Amino acid sequence: MKQFAVVWVPFFAAAVEERCEPRLRDSPLAVVTGAPPAARVADANAAAREHGVAPGMTETEARARCASLVTRPVSAERVRSARCTLLEAAHAVSPRVEDVAPGLVDVDASGLDRLVGDARQVGEELARRARLVGFTATVGVARTRAVARVAARLGHRVSVVAPGEEASFLAGVRLAVLDFPEDLRATLAEWGVRTAGELAALPRDALAARLGAPGLDAHDVVLGIDGAPFRPWSPPPFYQEAQGLDWEVDRLDALVPVLRDLLGRLCARLEGGDVHADALTVQLALTGRRVDDRQIVLAAPIRDAALMLALAKLDLEARPPGAAVTGIAVSVHVVHARVVTGGLWDAPAPASRDLASVLARVAALVGPDAVGAAAPIDTHRPDAFVLVPFAPPDGGADDHGGEPTLALRRLRPPRGIAVETTPDGRPARIGWDASAAPGARSSRVVRCAGPWRHSGEWWDVGAWAHDEWDAALPDGIVCRLVHDRVTDRWVVEGIYD
Amino acid sequence: MSAVSPLQKGEITEIVGGLSSGRTSLLLAALATATRQGGVAALVDAEDSFDVASAQRAGVDLRRVLWVRCARCYRAAVTVTDLLVHCPGFAVVALDLGQGAVRIPAALAFRLRLAARRAAVAVLIGARERTVGSTASLAIRAAQHALEWSGPGPVTTRLSRLGTELEILRARGLACPERLELARLVWWNA
Repeated sequence: MKQFAVVWVPFFAAAVEERCEPRLRDSPLAVVTGAPPAARVADANAAAREHGVAPGMTETEARARCASLVTRPVSAERVRSARCTLLEAAHAVSPRVEDVAPGLVDVDASGLDRLVGDARQVGEELARRARLVGFTATVGVARTRAVARVAARLGHRVSVVAPGEEASFLAGVRLAVLDFPEDLRATLAEWGVRTAGELAALPRDALAARLGAPGLDAHDVVLGIDGAPFRPWSPPPFYQEAQGLDWEVDRLDALVPVLRDLLGRLCARLEGGDVHADALTVQLALTGRRVDDRQIVLAAPIRDAALMLALAKLDLEARPPGAAVTGIAVSVHVVHARVVTGGLWDAPAPASRDLASVLARVAALVGPDAVGAAAPIDTHRPDAFVLVPFAPPDGGADDHGGEPTLALRRLRPPRGIAVETTPDGRPARIGWDASAAPGARSSRVVRCAGPWRHSGEWWDVGAWAHDEWDAALPDGIVCRLVHDRVTDRWVVEGIYD
Repeated sequence: MSAVSPLQKGEITEIVGGLSSGRTSLLLAALATATRQGGVAALVDAEDSFDVASAQRAGVDLRRVLWVRCARCYRAAVTVTDLLVHCPGFAVVALDLGQGAVRIPAALAFRLRLAARRAAVAVLIGARERTVGSTASLAIRAAQHALEWSGPGPVTTRLSRLGTELEILRARGLACPERLELARLVWWNA
């Protein structure tokens, strides 16, 4: 006979923070998203909700309602990790679990009576496993998932609904306990429908005509009908191949055949799973019980063993292990690559495979931090940008406009100079530093324009204030001089060209 | 300028000139043209002098430009250019040698030209002096022509325009009257 258990961790985002900081369990806690002053409550624990803190309100309003409120920023990474942890805990009891939502896990408990025990014992075991990984969960056990979810929401540690008693159990459940949309809940309240039994008694056709699909879903819940099929969750696969060596290897050409075999087996598994790798990790066990870990980020998802071997060789040549190797393990981070066909009128772009290979070779020559695409940072600070991995967008180009613009050739870092100014503060002569070419110790400023004042981040320790001058020198060079008003230093920032 | 464009697909183009000649502005304009047409470009920056703000104002789609910063290692810059030209798919590979006195060996220059033709990529080399000799199908010299200053009052507050005079030094396959054509461009300082 079918039997399902549902593990429910209420207010999951807040529970994740309580799991990381157990001392927060006794405090009103809200998890906020966004930056002040627009920060909003994403979730709150029971103690905070008792004070009237609710998701969606601003942090300011939440603090006004609860003076002792503790807030933490929402962390998608922590929530994702915790969600996986809860699934693994349930997976330790039954091999068939379903990831319904953050903090909500359906467990197929059919056939566990010999392994674990009766329904109550299954529920107790699930609650214990959840407790072991830091969650206070409630468990409902019933013949269908819908009834088990309702049972889990009653608040008892374990609630068991015996087969055949679903209707009588659901009849008295208040709709406020169930997770219905707000507008549906309001409509039912206006009709005077307060319990699951009253909702179940309503005619289904009329409910569909008045409330549509949400009404039918709610009707299924109170009737204990499972609408969607059970979709089992499986732990993410771990793609790794490893091999110990019979003797120590201290030459790259002796390591290559071993790497080739490992990568060949790994790529065969990737082929079988229809996935690609976007990062390759090579772990070398060295003499003296040391370990050399190196990660190679791939420019595009691939599962080509020859290309991975070439990239690993380049990395090993650029950074030799420093000791003899006694074992190798290679693992990959897998992604599901999507096939994108280019538009008929789009210009061709480098193929992913070719791009990955050439970027690795270029990075080996100039360093991985010197290759990429420039992404400007949203600030007025000059020359503010980051170098991001090069990934040209698909499809046609956006028209970025543009006009014949005078380019600046930046000096990185800006060159420090000594400047003589006129009585009104305009640069008159530039004194180059000692590393200048002989005979070019100083230059007269033929003409200059400025100052163009910039400043920013005045509220922070990194406050800056610059005066920019465009200066023409006797040899025709036009450069940008910058006077830092904070440090009183002069630099040449760049040359117009 | 005539119908000659610095973007010659499958060919090497040299843009030479001193500092403040407008050479770099012409290089940025070529990158903007390439990326605006949906192509992917690469900029090998031998002296790490690429200005992101100038490129944005010129209309360059920065997502489509691979920037390689070579920190004044000119030999590595030339090697990287060779690698990129051999990778099919780039519309433009630009090598900015800055003020470096670099002479690319003839064998490497011919190899570059052959690879450019096979991959149908436009190779642009910006330098102080010519570097690849006869393997470039187009060579342009840029020279500063005029400077214009502006400001609300009698004291100027900004360099507003720089004029560039372009001279075609070499143009393989063009009729003789166009060989010594002069053209003038004006670059606006935003």
